[in-house]
Amino acid sequence: MSSSTSSDIVIQARHLGKAYQLYARRNDWLKQVMFGWWKSYFKPFTVLRDIDLQVRRGESIGILGRNGCGKSTLLQVICGMTLPSHGELRVTGRIAPVLALGSTFDLELSGRENVMIGGAVLGLTRAEVLHKFNSIAEFAGIGDYMGQPVKHYSMGMRTRLAFSICAHVEAEILVVDEALAVGDAAFQRKCLDWIDDFRKKGTLLFVSHSMAEVRRLCTRAIWIEDGRIREQGDPSEVIRSYHRALLVEKDDVLRFTAGA
Amino acid sequence: MPSVNVVNGKQIVVVDIGLTERMVRFFAKPFRQMWHHRDLIQAILRREVAERFKGSVAGWVWAVVAPLLAIAVYTFAFTTNLKLPMADNVGGPRVGYALFIFSGIIVFNFFAEMAFRAPMLLHEYTHFIKQTIFPSDMLAVISTLRATLYTVISIAVMLIFQLAMLHELPWTVLLMPLIFIPFMAFLIGMSWFLCAIGAFTRDAGYLMINIVPLMMFATPVFYPHTSLPAPWDFWIYANALTGYVDVMRDIVLVGKPPNWIVYGWTLLTSVFTFYFGYWFFDRYRNVIVDVL
Repeated sequence: MSSSTSSDIVIQARHLGKAYQLYARRNDWLKQVMFGWWKSYFKPFTVLRDIDLQVRRGESIGILGRNGCGKSTLLQVICGMTLPSHGELRVTGRIAPVLALGSTFDLELSGRENVMIGGAVLGLTRAEVLHKFNSIAEFAGIGDYMGQPVKHYSMGMRTRLAFSICAHVEAEILVVDEALAVGDAAFQRKCLDWIDDFRKKGTLLFVSHSMAEVRRLCTRAIWIEDGRIREQGDPSEVIRSYHRALLVEKDDVLRFTAGA
Repeated sequence: MPSVNVVNGKQIVVVDIGLTERMVRFFAKPFRQMWHHRDLIQAILRREVAERFKGSVAGWVWAVVAPLLAIAVYTFAFTTNLKLPMADNVGGPRVGYALFIFSGIIVFNFFAEMAFRAPMLLHEYTHFIKQTIFPSDMLAVISTLRATLYTVISIAVMLIFQLAMLHELPWTVLLMPLIFIPFMAFLIGMSWFLCAIGAFTRDAGYLMINIVPLMMFATPVFYPHTSLPAPWDFWIYANALTGYVDVMRDIVLVGKPPNWIVYGWTLLTSVFTFYFGYWFFDRYRNVIVDVL
């Protein structure tokens, strides 16, 4: 698995950048559409700049960084939810995004119906979801609540169900974004065990603020700061310098300013 | 083949293809997408249908009661001795006028439901679009399918009523799919266009709230378009809905095959709207994600 032929590279990013358009006034975008060829009415707000990244099949990448450094945007770009504004990106294989777990649930519908929708959104056919339904219910472990509307679920139960759906997609690339923070310790361990198992056959991109998890799961860590890769390499070393930086540098409130 | 392949913010088509091939792909694309996402369409359609009568005990009964009530009221109004300027122009029994209006309203309501909903459609599904890999172009298809369901119920009520009152249905009723499917395509195309615009600005929604009731009078729902003076013919057909209402009435009420020029015109507007809508949506879909 670890031979470095080019077909082994599942994610290839070169000089990847993402800038959102920030408008000072709400309706400036209209001016931009009409007169954009003449002058621009927005401030570019650069979230990612010049990201170079190569991920081989079977690698597990941990992504570190402070709030708003661009981690989530990077994952969204890699998943193809939003297009990068600069650079090149090539992703090969079926991606399962485990982002914002449970946010797509319809609160009025039962857990069962949400599994049908959630599975379909992740690309499973109806027959596949039905086939895996019992296994999904068992992994989530929420028992009779499965037939109840999701609005009666606790946050933890929603997370359990959502993760359980994602775990049954059989993706080649798993993208996990701080997903497990809500579950209780037992469920977190179950998920981590599952991810551990997944690593044997698939590629993992993992965002977490828990350094222990990153150290346990990842073969490589990437530290993103201000939209750039600041350091990457062996997880323990990157974590050490990340921790050092956290202690030294104070919480900089200016980093969300546009046009920098 | 890479699942995502992007250079400088533009999705790259890897293979180099000729003009004809590109045209064929463009025309086939919406249908290939629908086929590819058929299970997703089914799953979300179920949710949408359930959502319509969320928390109601009677549920589906409402979908039948509403058209029943409407047609009962029209019939009562037009079979009493009320003197109406239009009713005599249509000809036939007074029940005919009730059916005349009801058929027009069915077509118009189908259009109105889509026109009202489409601008907000992507906002309703923001979570899906931003948090998952979601084919947002299928939303217009799904919502049109949902509206189709209710329209079909209304049509069924109308046909049963017609059969009960007049004891006969013209054979041309069987031609209904020939007009219904183009109408669905027309509405799907319109929804693509409106929901793309609506993602950028809420004005699209407000505009529709103001325009649609006016459209009701610009479309021959309450009057036969033949009662307008000749110079207006062009303008009344410039409103694409007129064609659909016309053809619908010809085959369901009058019982004659549609005027082929009118039918050709409706087909043309349907195909054009469908592909223009898709082209427009496809062009802006990546921008839409960032502005939602």
